[in-house]
Amino acid sequence: MSASSEIPRFLRLSGTEAYNHTPDKNFLMIGERTNVAGSPRFRKLIQQDKLEEALEVARQQVENGAAVIDICFDDGLIDGVAMMARFLDLIQAEPDIQAVPIMVDSSKWEIIEEGIKHLQGKGIVNSISLKEGEEVFKKHATHIRNYGAAAVVMAFDEKGQAATYDEKIQICERAYRILVDEVGFPPEDIIFDPNILTVATGIEEHNNYALDFINATRWIKENLPHAQVSGGVSNISFSFRGNNAVREAMHSAFLYHATQAGMDMGIVNAGMLEVYDEIPKNLLQAVEDVLLNKDDGATERLLDLAEEYKGQGAKKIEEDLTWREAGVEKRLEHALLKGLDKFIVEDTTEALEKYEKPLSVIEGPLMDGMGIVGDLFGAGKMFLPQVVKSARVMKKSVAYLEPFMEKEREIRIIDLAKRLQQKDESLTDEDARRAAEKENSNGKIIMATVKGDVHDIGKNIVGVVLACNGFDVVDMGVMVPCDKILAAFEEENADVIGLSGLITPSLDEMITVAKEAEKAGLGAKKVPILIGGATTSAAHTAIKIAEHYSGPLVHVLDASRSVPVTTSLLSEESRDAFIAENQAKHEKHRKAFSGGPKKEVITLAEARANRHQIAWDDYTPPTPEFTGTRIIKSQSLRELANYIDWTPFFHTWELRGVWDAEAQKLKTKNEEGAKVAQDLYQEAQILLEKIITEKRFIANGLYGFFPAYADGDDIILPEHGTTFHTLRQQQKKATGKANFALSDYISPKKSHGDHLGGFVVGIHGADEWAAELREQNNIDEALMVQALADRFAEAFAELLHHRARVEWGIERVGQLTKTELIHEKYQGIRPAPGYPSQPDHTEKPLLFDLVGAPEAIEVTLTESCAMHPGSAVCGIYFSHPDSHYFQINDLQKDQIEDYAKRKKMTVDEVEKWLGPWLGY
Amino acid sequence: MRRLELARPFIKTHILLAVTTDLFSELESALSERILILDGAMGTTIRGYELTEADARGDRFKENHEDLLNNGDILSITRPDVIADIHKRFYEAGSDICETNTFSGTVLAQSEFFVEDPRKTGGIKDPEFFDKEVLSNSYLQDLVWELNVESVKLAKQEADKVAEATGRKRYVAGAIGPLTVSLTNVVDPNDTAFRSVTFDQVKETYTHQIKALLSAGCDILMVETIFDALNAKAALVAINEVAIETGVKTPVIISAAVGRGGETMISAQKVEALWIAVSHVNPLAVGLNCSLGPDLMEPFLRDLSKIATAAVSCYPNAGLPNPLAPTGFDLEPHHMAEFMAEFADSQLLNLAGGCCGNTPEHIAAIAQAMEHKSPRPIPQLSLV
Repeated sequence: MSASSEIPRFLRLSGTEAYNHTPDKNFLMIGERTNVAGSPRFRKLIQQDKLEEALEVARQQVENGAAVIDICFDDGLIDGVAMMARFLDLIQAEPDIQAVPIMVDSSKWEIIEEGIKHLQGKGIVNSISLKEGEEVFKKHATHIRNYGAAAVVMAFDEKGQAATYDEKIQICERAYRILVDEVGFPPEDIIFDPNILTVATGIEEHNNYALDFINATRWIKENLPHAQVSGGVSNISFSFRGNNAVREAMHSAFLYHATQAGMDMGIVNAGMLEVYDEIPKNLLQAVEDVLLNKDDGATERLLDLAEEYKGQGAKKIEEDLTWREAGVEKRLEHALLKGLDKFIVEDTTEALEKYEKPLSVIEGPLMDGMGIVGDLFGAGKMFLPQVVKSARVMKKSVAYLEPFMEKEREIRIIDLAKRLQQKDESLTDEDARRAAEKENSNGKIIMATVKGDVHDIGKNIVGVVLACNGFDVVDMGVMVPCDKILAAFEEENADVIGLSGLITPSLDEMITVAKEAEKAGLGAKKVPILIGGATTSAAHTAIKIAEHYSGPLVHVLDASRSVPVTTSLLSEESRDAFIAENQAKHEKHRKAFSGGPKKEVITLAEARANRHQIAWDDYTPPTPEFTGTRIIKSQSLRELANYIDWTPFFHTWELRGVWDAEAQKLKTKNEEGAKVAQDLYQEAQILLEKIITEKRFIANGLYGFFPAYADGDDIILPEHGTTFHTLRQQQKKATGKANFALSDYISPKKSHGDHLGGFVVGIHGADEWAAELREQNNIDEALMVQALADRFAEAFAELLHHRARVEWGIERVGQLTKTELIHEKYQGIRPAPGYPSQPDHTEKPLLFDLVGAPEAIEVTLTESCAMHPGSAVCGIYFSHPDSHYFQINDLQKDQIEDYAKRKKMTVDEVEKWLGPWLGY
Repeated sequence: MRRLELARPFIKTHILLAVTTDLFSELESALSERILILDGAMGTTIRGYELTEADARGDRFKENHEDLLNNGDILSITRPDVIADIHKRFYEAGSDICETNTFSGTVLAQSEFFVEDPRKTGGIKDPEFFDKEVLSNSYLQDLVWELNVESVKLAKQEADKVAEATGRKRYVAGAIGPLTVSLTNVVDPNDTAFRSVTFDQVKETYTHQIKALLSAGCDILMVETIFDALNAKAALVAINEVAIETGVKTPVIISAAVGRGGETMISAQKVEALWIAVSHVNPLAVGLNCSLGPDLMEPFLRDLSKIATAAVSCYPNAGLPNPLAPTGFDLEPHHMAEFMAEFADSQLLNLAGGCCGNTPEHIAAIAQAMEHKSPRPIPQLSLV
């Protein structure tokens, strides 16, 4: 096993020192003070041949922190070629200036040609374009490449400057393809300038110019891998010359939106930039309306407003705090509805003074407010992310009240216990106290992710929603063994048990808990057990779990259902009816299961005869660049972020729909839901940025290729002494349709040179961070952290698969767009053990041993074969073009017996692991 | 896998030569398997032959105006036996790659020995002087061409002999040295923008040398002992342009001479900055040589090793100059071997050799120390 590291692809430049444009560098500002077109003073110095002073201007820029300096002598009165040569030679004698990379800026090719002869480091040429056609463009690009410089490529072509979005992206894509495919220019050395053009000119066609640039930037970043985007920012505000307050606001608002879209660098006058958050709200609004072309009147409004700012400094406008004027109940309600925690302690203190008892505050204004939140949530007018925010505010308020309550509660319980003992003298002190505690509670729920499973996002959401609705939630965390759950139930004097799990073996563990709970007598006491989690289903709950428990056992589909279910189960009036209804549902499922038409199945021998046929004799398997394993430690999170598929992220929050990466919008019929998704996305971006810049997650992964051949339904890795086992479909298929097993995709010929790949990735740091946040009552952020960790893990899996395909020679770099990647429009698959194509989790240890995942990247397996850390993905790679995902089910006894023999396991063991997929 | 087998020693040389056409993959395969051995010093080893001015001149340059004893390159013409013997000794000591005796094999560098210095007569060396007296001097051009061609022949002939005898292929690297003039160095304190030569002149002189080296069939081009990164860039641009012109790419090794601060001696460029500036050439290897002993070179070798997506080469001086030592340098063979073994254990090395003060005995010791060391895994630029 060799661990060859990778050097990430960044724009890298140098003077005598290196400049690496790593993601943490954010926006690269390139000063324009040594540019005769941008600085009248510099132009004058050059024209008067005061080169010593001109050199000082360059020095100051570097001293002020310029990472790159732009040098331009494009002026009718200056001999550009001679001056460029002379000035750059002068810089070579100045150690502090020549430290930084230089941008040789000219619209004249001969000046650029001269300039790059005077750079010992790697500079940037600004610029080349398709203006004079492809031949000249290629010639210039090749020349620059020979000299080892990066290049700014203007969005120009034979027909002129690209103004609209369509023109910009069309020209940039064309230039990119020529540079990358024909010239061999490294994509990271391409810096597109898609033209920042002036807006608010009064000409209608110009209204969309800012948005066109921003959208083109986003498109370039998504579709032209590694390319950079730059631009001359001051252009945008030319129509407000003389009004610096407005220009500064326009520059920073424009930069704010353009950098969000991915703009990497720009030529900016740092003195002409307002801090985005400091722009007066009304000016910002007007400026953004213009930049984002909100409506036809936007320019007019900014022009009107600009009058106010003419010649004066920026005014500060207060945020709208009128809601603070209402009564304390209204204020608490407002804070809960809007999820604002700024004043919550202040308002809670006031409410406590007014209501005297902390419980009265909770049961009064706070629960009223949460009641409204709950109603709006139930009516689909509020969404989970907002509810979670409300819950956070609620928690903060309650946290303030808790010490007061604890005191009161103690007094009350002592009092209550005394009274109970007076009624029944046989009660011991301890029993009396327990009984008093119980009477005092609204309902207490023990929640746990069962043993062997580390997934808890869903459980946490349910916990939050229940807590918001006045239930006492005791969250025991993940991987909780059965005895601990039952013990906690007793200790806590709880009313309900909630079990959660994501992976299939958790289903069995839930059965175990049900059996043990029954033994402990909870069934007889009619203690409700709630079952939830992604792999659970109403049918499985009814058929496989409920039979082991005589109390109410209810499958809860999602968080929004947890409140009505729990409320019904704990309410004296509705409880019996609810339980009866639940029983009836179970009965229906059981009937449907036993009485339904049996699917037609075939024997294993027949299924094997109907395997998927590949003409191996006419096929040459691709050879990977290496065999064995490659380890990637601390993979760049910035790079991973590009691979994130956001759709499942929203599903975590129960927002259904498909994320449209291009439009940055959740495609759903529910308008309001789309809006919430947008906000959630923005919040996620902020956290994402924090995770990336502060390196809160460590993404470790490994992947490898191994010579392999198929032997029946097994895949043998002769050089590594490993055998993977696959399962075969046994349903009777229509003519022409095969009974698939994964082994069908590997050549059965021993010396054919076919390979199997494998990978494991894990995100470290998320579990601990989320726990810490939960401690601090920061529940929404904790959920977000976990959801993002899951996305990073999936993204890492995608990235490695991408890399693997390239190294396998079945895909070339840049062949597929981001969207195509998300839609898996590539050759080959990466099925994971425990998922539909091979549902057996016990294949995971084989993979982990093969690639050495526990030692190399600290991703381990629990005894139920769940991965730790929780956000982890593994799988095996197949390269054959026919390979696709399929579903295994209705496995027959003959296959299970055969499989058990191949795996050297007992039939019982195999049946336990494959329970849900058995067809007998 | 198939490719790797070609580099295994037990395969007969003639089969190997017949099968292998792709020099790049052959060298890359070898580099992935082991640390390749470079040669030692040419200049200081020549000193061991105790040649005289008359040896250096031979009959042909008997009447030359300037002394030639310090023109080591001319010995390829006047004392080919000595140069061939040095190559032979290094190849036999275990060198996979020896450099041709062409460190100063450019029209610009040779002009020091064959064109009268204008400063002797009150003139200056400026671009005009080089245009008129040097670059258009056809005697000098022909001589330099011949010098390069003969040097490659000498090395090749020894490489093939030793390959035949040992069953392991040996390679010839055309040495491209740093010149005696600089594109970044200020020569006139009153006009810091003045340079003696232009970039185009430097590029032209390198182009001439590169074409001569390639015409004689050298396997590798080695831009080495880089004092001035802009001079080196001119050489690399020349290599790129010749490759485009001829349609043939040649493996390139780039090696810088850095001072105690880790900067190129004249142009003061840091190692990482230099790598970034030359990485577009996709060199076979990048490394450090000369100027320092292995101990002082180590931190900069580490810097380079971390970032270079090419093989890393290292051939330091045998310590610091010591006039009392037999080689003129401090470190003995076993010292060099120990240092290089340490570098190899730290996974810093793909190619190891020695510069000033390293004799064939030094190289033999280094080669032996490298025998069972695994090479530095060469990082790749990420694809995605």
